[in-house]
Amino acid sequence: MRWNKPHAAVLLCASAVLASAQASPGAPQPQAPFVHKKKYVMGTVFEIVAYGESVAQASEAVDLALQEVVRLDDVMSDYKAESALSRLNHSSHSRPQRVPPDLYRVIGEALQYSRLSGGKFDVTVGPLVNLWKAAIRGGQPPSPAEEEKVRACVGYQKVELLPPDRVQFHSPCTQIDLGAIGKGYALDRAAAVLRAHGLSRALLDAGGSTLVALGTPPGQAGWLVHLRDPSNRVGPAVMLSDSSVSTSEQTPPSLLSPEQAGHIIDPGSGAPERTPFTVSVVASTGTASDALSTTLLLVGPEKGKELVQTVAGVAAVWISADGRSELASSGPQILINGNAQRPAASARTDAGGLR
Amino acid sequence: MTAHANFMFMRTRILTLICLLAATPAWSRVLLRWTQPSLPPPATMVVTDLVVPWDDAALISNAHRQGYHVYAEVPAGKAAEMAGRAGNSDLAGIILNLGDSQPSQLDQELQQLRSANPSLPVLLLDPNARQPQMKGQMVIKREGVLQVTSPTAQPWVDTNLALVRLDQAFHPSQTPLYEFQWDVSDPQLQESGPAPADYALAVAEAGAFRADLVLDLNPRLQTDLAQNHPAVVAVFNQVKRYLAFASRGQKNVGKPDANVGLITDSYQKSYEPINLLARHNIPFAVLKASDLKPRSLDRFDLLVVFAAMDDPAMKALADFASKGGVVVVVDAHGPYPWQSGQPVPAGEHSVAYVTGKGRIIELQGQVIDPETFAQDIRSLLDKGQNRDELALSLWNALTVVAVSYQSPGGEKLVELVNYAEEPISVQVRIKGSFSSIRYETPERACCRPLTPTRRGAFTEFVVPSLRIAGRVHLASRKPTDHKTEVK
Repeated sequence: MRWNKPHAAVLLCASAVLASAQASPGAPQPQAPFVHKKKYVMGTVFEIVAYGESVAQASEAVDLALQEVVRLDDVMSDYKAESALSRLNHSSHSRPQRVPPDLYRVIGEALQYSRLSGGKFDVTVGPLVNLWKAAIRGGQPPSPAEEEKVRACVGYQKVELLPPDRVQFHSPCTQIDLGAIGKGYALDRAAAVLRAHGLSRALLDAGGSTLVALGTPPGQAGWLVHLRDPSNRVGPAVMLSDSSVSTSEQTPPSLLSPEQAGHIIDPGSGAPERTPFTVSVVASTGTASDALSTTLLLVGPEKGKELVQTVAGVAAVWISADGRSELASSGPQILINGNAQRPAASARTDAGGLR
Repeated sequence: MTAHANFMFMRTRILTLICLLAATPAWSRVLLRWTQPSLPPPATMVVTDLVVPWDDAALISNAHRQGYHVYAEVPAGKAAEMAGRAGNSDLAGIILNLGDSQPSQLDQELQQLRSANPSLPVLLLDPNARQPQMKGQMVIKREGVLQVTSPTAQPWVDTNLALVRLDQAFHPSQTPLYEFQWDVSDPQLQESGPAPADYALAVAEAGAFRADLVLDLNPRLQTDLAQNHPAVVAVFNQVKRYLAFASRGQKNVGKPDANVGLITDSYQKSYEPINLLARHNIPFAVLKASDLKPRSLDRFDLLVVFAAMDDPAMKALADFASKGGVVVVVDAHGPYPWQSGQPVPAGEHSVAYVTGKGRIIELQGQVIDPETFAQDIRSLLDKGQNRDELALSLWNALTVVAVSYQSPGGEKLVELVNYAEEPISVQVRIKGSFSSIRYETPERACCRPLTPTRRGAFTEFVVPSLRIAGRVHLASRKPTDHKTEVK
């Protein structure tokens, strides 16, 4: 998947309310210096709000954090011909290739989620995505023969990491696409840059699809983030503190055409995933929430709840357009219509939320 | 009344009032709104058209004395009062700001102003434009409360192309004149005002779309300019480059290229879908339903109909489809002549009828998801009879809006606006064969040659570094005036 393709990797919809230094309107306090900056990169808008000791300090740190995202785009983009990932994808597949540390690390994390999900999350699915995109542009789904040919290229088992810094493909046509994990990884690295420059209170956003919180806003228990709710009836939200949230949703159906594609492909079926749900996932890092949101959209709530229980510090909510919602947590709380849900709970709600 | 209803109400009002205007000269320029008592010399400003409060006689007199062309801005409700003071020879024109008044009241006010000032142009100002910008997900509110929203993962570009095209369609004899309010919800901007790049973007957008703009200058910036503050003057020089660049683009420009014809009879029904088509760089033209002429449809590949149709219009649409075109009828309420054929289910709420070589798709209800609608239109164009034949296509350009114009002399002009305000490289494909491609920006003199690559019926080239504004001149022969080339 390309960073800047029209159907971007994750269709996100999250909203957040960030509290300020003022705990209440009636009790004014000196406002902590903060900066707000945004940058177009990876085909979307990255934004950072950060509090610092001074505006100058915060501004410099935020600039450096955004530069880090740009640097990582030059490493992980499959759109830029000169990126490290593009060079890997177009290199000779017959022998191991040396890659930069960030690329080695993010591929390693991606393979972990592939194993965890039994292959539902798979960074080698790109050729199938491209096949479906091309086929739909032509007006027909791909033929079984075409699909079979491309599926031979797909499979995370065809990617092997050779420590400390080499990658080996075991298929001549395998390619890696980091569209479902790269933005989360970039946010984690940007947050690390902020920390290294003395900032401990910031919210970082990658196009709304993944948010990473550093600390809390001054005087607040966390960054209150409202989550995507296609029904407008469930009202999910989360208080983030040194944690992350991501949302995944399949491309909405066409208004004028019977052909339905979608940017999220099920590696198992080889076809666009059909799901009524939007899913939001809370996890400790942006890399984890980004990868898990795609994974949990693909596996659905039934298996997804079991999967959540196997990973520490994860919560997820699935919501359909008609107001059905499913909830699972191995630690973090997700608020439904303003009410906190119990940790480690798996619950099903109707449109009115848990009672 | 909701903000949306207010917005649509204003559009209806503008439509009504614009129709009352006599033909006025095309302006295509930037006018600066000035509110501070002191002024810089006009020679230092590039722009000599100022918009000042109608009742600030001292400022009007001072500005006129210094050599500015002064336009008095009258808020709705004050026209009668101003008409009573007619005869101010210091004025170059009058601008009636619609504000929140009722259409009937405005009709009267417009007549009063024109009767009292027969020698002055009286223009209506559309106050419903948006600050051009690339928006993020975070919204920072006053009192330190911050909020994030995320309707889409793609960069959300606030552009005024739809508004400009609608205004042009409903009154082709008047160049659209608009203003917008700066978004200063971010506390960082409340004191300092917009950045120079933000001013530059606003100027670039109006110039690229061939519209007139009343531009608000931050009061502190006005004062510093009047005091000739060296640092501020240096900063404003960046904006002046864009003012000069916009003014250079006004000459000898023909119609914008368009693959899609949008037939409408109201802003309310069509604004958001058109806005999303604009953001997706789908070349379009807006046609007023009551002015529909069958032959005028021939240049399009696809039509979208937002208006109720009479029998001749329905026949024109059926003829268009029978020749291979695609017609999308929004909020279709038949019966229609093409419904004698067999309907085929299309999308979730639409059916299609094969009509000759083409087809007509009826969408039940209004467009509830303009983003998906725009992508559907793009997809239909890709699959149509003239598939992959867009007049203008961009790659790596999610923050760019581009318009191509065919000049009467045969030259093609492409105006590009980058709302991200940071240099990007943009790949462009344009229909036609061009051997000379020259690129100019506000930062560089005209022109730098670009290398064309022929792809069948198209020419491709790469704009190497588009910061905010760029203009590409395309011709089928090498320019004879090599003095304009900059190596």
